[in-house]
Amino acid sequence: MESEKINKEITPTPEEVPEWLLDLDKVGFVRRLFLARKWYGGDWWFVAISAVLLIFIIIVGIFPQWFAPYDPREEVGPSLLAPGEPPASYLLITPVESGDIRFRDIADRSNNIGFIIGSAASQAMREVVDELNEDAPEGVRYQPRQQRYETLEEGLQTLVDGEIDGFIASPDELGETLEDFPSLQIAGTLREESERGFVFGTNQIGQDILSRIIWGTRIALIVGLSSAIVSFIVGVPLGLISGFVGGPFDRVLTLLMDSLYSFPGLILAISIAAVLGAGIGNIIVSIAVLYVPTYFRIVRGQTLSVKEELYVEAARSIGTKWTTILWKYIFPNVIPSVVIIFSVNVGDAILTEAGLSFLGFGLPPDTPDWGIDLARGQDYVRRAWWLITYPGLMVTMVTLSFSMLGESLSEILNPRLTER
Amino acid sequence: MAEKEVLIQIQNLSVEYKTRLGQVSAVDNVSFDIYKGEILGLVGESGCGKSTMGKALMRMIQPPGKITDGKIIFEGEDIMTYNEDQMRDFRGRKVSMIFQDPMTSLNPVQRVDEHIIEAIQVHEPQTKAEEALERATKLIRKLGIQKRRMDNYPHQLSGGMRQRVMVGLGLVLNANLIVADEATTSLDVIVEAKLADQLRQIREDFGVSLLVITHNIALVAELSDRIVVMYAGHVMEIADVEPIFDDPLHPYTKGLLQSIPNIQLDDTEELYKMPGEPPNLTHPPSGCRFHPRCPYLMPVCVDHEPPLAEVSPGRHVKCWLYIDHPEKESETIKVEA
Repeated sequence: MESEKINKEITPTPEEVPEWLLDLDKVGFVRRLFLARKWYGGDWWFVAISAVLLIFIIIVGIFPQWFAPYDPREEVGPSLLAPGEPPASYLLITPVESGDIRFRDIADRSNNIGFIIGSAASQAMREVVDELNEDAPEGVRYQPRQQRYETLEEGLQTLVDGEIDGFIASPDELGETLEDFPSLQIAGTLREESERGFVFGTNQIGQDILSRIIWGTRIALIVGLSSAIVSFIVGVPLGLISGFVGGPFDRVLTLLMDSLYSFPGLILAISIAAVLGAGIGNIIVSIAVLYVPTYFRIVRGQTLSVKEELYVEAARSIGTKWTTILWKYIFPNVIPSVVIIFSVNVGDAILTEAGLSFLGFGLPPDTPDWGIDLARGQDYVRRAWWLITYPGLMVTMVTLSFSMLGESLSEILNPRLTER
Repeated sequence: MAEKEVLIQIQNLSVEYKTRLGQVSAVDNVSFDIYKGEILGLVGESGCGKSTMGKALMRMIQPPGKITDGKIIFEGEDIMTYNEDQMRDFRGRKVSMIFQDPMTSLNPVQRVDEHIIEAIQVHEPQTKAEEALERATKLIRKLGIQKRRMDNYPHQLSGGMRQRVMVGLGLVLNANLIVADEATTSLDVIVEAKLADQLRQIREDFGVSLLVITHNIALVAELSDRIVVMYAGHVMEIADVEPIFDDPLHPYTKGLLQSIPNIQLDDTEELYKMPGEPPNLTHPPSGCRFHPRCPYLMPVCVDHEPPLAEVSPGRHVKCWLYIDHPEKESETIKVEA
């Protein structure tokens, strides 16, 4: 009886908290993002921009085939074509009376096709004929006879006379001459599908730079993320256990990690990659080794301080197992500082991977990879700036985005800054 | 008062810390009993070994510290002989602890309910989460925390609420003894009074014993049934709360009580300051550890350590003033029961 009475007395009345204040507690991440100015100065858009950029890059990396206009390994155009420059196309000229006609229709063994001696049109025609033959049904074979002429006028006159079925010339060669031959028409281009342009130009062997960059995104992301994940998976538990257990185990491991850390990063990665050999898996491993000490050091330091916290002692005082303490009390309190490192590390790993490929210790040389493109493009810097500019920009942009996101998130997620 | 049942018996407990300057005997040869359902106050100045005592009770002394000697007898068993698994079960289920700083004694990434459910499941792994949650909710209500606070994180709670959650963690497993290590020190006076009230309430409701470790003598006077006074790792005096405040026997207790700031002090009357400094425990003073600061110093105190003697029923003092010794010249003071 007595105790019940007192019990009622000591139960405090619920505090009077206005409803709107409670609602404010419930606002989610988006609202807080809008309030970002408060917690991240005026630069919250840093996060927004880098996040949007990264999401786009990740989508591109996952589905490069949606974005890339060409096969990145295929020689799809003339070499060293400047960005946006249309590839030289060849026009097919036929008599007007033959009507709507395509090259395919006059590419039979019995047909004659003319062009000017020394024109690249003969090369272009051979390529097109080869393509046609590849797709041709069984038994059909395209092989038009080639007729060479000294001048354009001579060739066109022959066409008017009906001795040949078509004439191929580039727009430059053609000039205004066609106006003198009213009975002739431009039937279309040599290739049937309209020529797609090369937005970022082509490299020295005629590969499309845009496609290579897009496919290179995939390699960069795979290497960057996996090496960061591998070093995370290795470094974090080691740091946790080392910090928690302490003693000789901790001392030996710390010594080991510090000696790894003292190597110049790229040189260590090169030597590991050189020992392991080429291949994407080996690159990932060699870069991961580079970053394990970073995680280890930070996690160990944090663990050392967190394990002295009162709540860890309180957990022990209710008889919690040490594994539970490590997993539920120390790990979650250590992880925020690691997440930020992770993001920055991904960017760094992409840079290192590009560096490795640039130096030739990395992926097979035909891989569409930014570092390889940079390495190959540097010989042509004077003639073709676009060979290195675009891959370089991509490396810079992705690295910067990851770093920016990491750094800004660290400021946002840091509760000490939020409170202000 | 009826004969009380002994809950836990501490016998000749010694704790030492290894430091670069040598062995520090933080707790030396301490013996006292804690009865069932009592609130025992453990007072003393900073560094006298109160907190070490509390931790030693749960065998939670971390290296470089070590329990070097003694027995802790709980329900007839010496917990010093327990292995690590038995010890884990003992902690929390039999004895639990409330810490000094409520701001940091809860895991910042766990919600209140997770804390309590975990405490239950550590000791009763077969308990389902819902069942545990129900128990937790009931208890939390009883401690005067609203139900909606259950899924708050510790940083959303006030200091008093956190301390009550900590109390709840101790109670949820029906621990027989709760060690409150400076539990109210960092709370403001109003919250402190409230918590003190609740601690007493808890004792009545749950029948637990409380060991209140504090340097706040006023709190102990308000809260406890009995008081243990510690100085430099030694127990100086054990007595019920009223006699010790009415008539402190040990010179250290007297000094301690006179050092309490009082609003009645005016300009002419100065607050009593005990002479000297607390001793360096790597080289504790010979004889009685309090003798260098003692206003009643006798020659015998320098060479011989007094025993902790029962001078009247329930009243133990470790001082030559009240105990006979052949080398003593002055007369032994007799204490009236």
